Amino acid sequence: MSDNWPIVSEVSEDLAHGQVAIVTFRWILVVAGLLFSLWNPGPIGILRIQILVILLLAVSNFYLLAQLLMGRTVNDQLVYAASAADLIVITTIVSVQGDFNSNVYVFYYPAIMVFSVVFPATMTLMFTGSIISLYFLISYGTAVANQGDLQILITRLLMLAAVAFCGNLYWRIEAKRRRVTAEAREKMMAQISTRSAVKRKST
Amino acid sequence: MQELQSPAQEAAEDIYFGQVVIVWARWFVILAGTILALWSASSVSDLTRAVLLIGLLMAINFLAHGRFLMDRPANRGLLIVMSLFDLLIITVIVLAWMGQNGLESPFFIFYYPMILAFAFVFPPFVTAVYVLVAMVAYVGAVFITDPSFVGNSIEIENLVQRLITLATMGGLATFHWRIQRDRRRGISELPTELSPAAPRGQ
Repeated sequence: MSDNWPIVSEVSEDLAHGQVAIVTFRWILVVAGLLFSLWNPGPIGILRIQILVILLLAVSNFYLLAQLLMGRTVNDQLVYAASAADLIVITTIVSVQGDFNSNVYVFYYPAIMVFSVVFPATMTLMFTGSIISLYFLISYGTAVANQGDLQILITRLLMLAAVAFCGNLYWRIEAKRRRVTAEAREKMMAQISTRSAVKRKST
Repeated sequence: MQELQSPAQEAAEDIYFGQVVIVWARWFVILAGTILALWSASSVSDLTRAVLLIGLLMAINFLAHGRFLMDRPANRGLLIVMSLFDLLIITVIVLAWMGQNGLESPFFIFYYPMILAFAFVFPPFVTAVYVLVAMVAYVGAVFITDPSFVGNSIEIENLVQRLITLATMGGLATFHWRIQRDRRRGISELPTELSPAAPRGQ
């Protein structure tokens, strides 16, 4: 099983390749956030918070997109921080819309998916564990009124874990496939070099 | 440049290696369904109906996981049929599971891991069709349960929100599938001068 885990130097490469998916998700979050904030707007106070948070997210995402477009590598820590910010934004909107009763929790699923296929297992575990704990606390503490709600909450949390687990499993599978491909390439190149050398000698 | 693998080999490997993700996604849905069935059933008939649905999913997954463990994984056709069956079962759960049905049903979230896992295994076009089928099935289930939702702006907003996240899940997973494929191709490329097919003198 240990050969399924990518080595440390691959982690930054994973982040560099996966960043474009994370940035794309963030744009979807910004557009959807604006759309749904204005669809059935709540009181002006809540709407102000929602729009401010969404615009801040848009500005930060523009910065990350600009770095990508200019071909600059973004610091790993900044990628982690931006993903944590996504989860905080979703949680803030869930909180102001009534915790457990808010329907915005569905955005957690794609948010968890995009980092689980890019981040190493420990970071995925940490991010997913944090968000499951946070969502459980804000929902259970204030809004879960009966056992039926609790069952629904547990189902939501279990599916969050499912998405993170499947994303990370795929990340490990792909890392192993890349490593096997690289080894096969090395072997083939070595064989070709040897044959070429033998041919040169014989002629 | 020449690659070590043909696209057909790559697709076969996607199915061979990736199907375990679908199997695990299904185990999570089965686990959630079992907990809910045992916890929330208030009558024998409720529990019987629930166990029938969960039992069907389990039977499919025993077949899929068993074949994978025996190194005889399901082929592309069987995998697609089983995945469509997953969508059918989840849609039936949304339609008829213990009191909360249609838009009120909280179990539409079972679609998320299944769509995610499917998108990691199949190419974009097949995934697009699968996601579309899931979305149509969900909208159909909501409409059959209570067609009056079309006149309610808040309910439409909820539905659109769910559909957007379902599509996002499929879209981003397939986007990531492409990124991974390009990375693998980048690694497997042989320089022209070292290619076995390269003409002499190059």
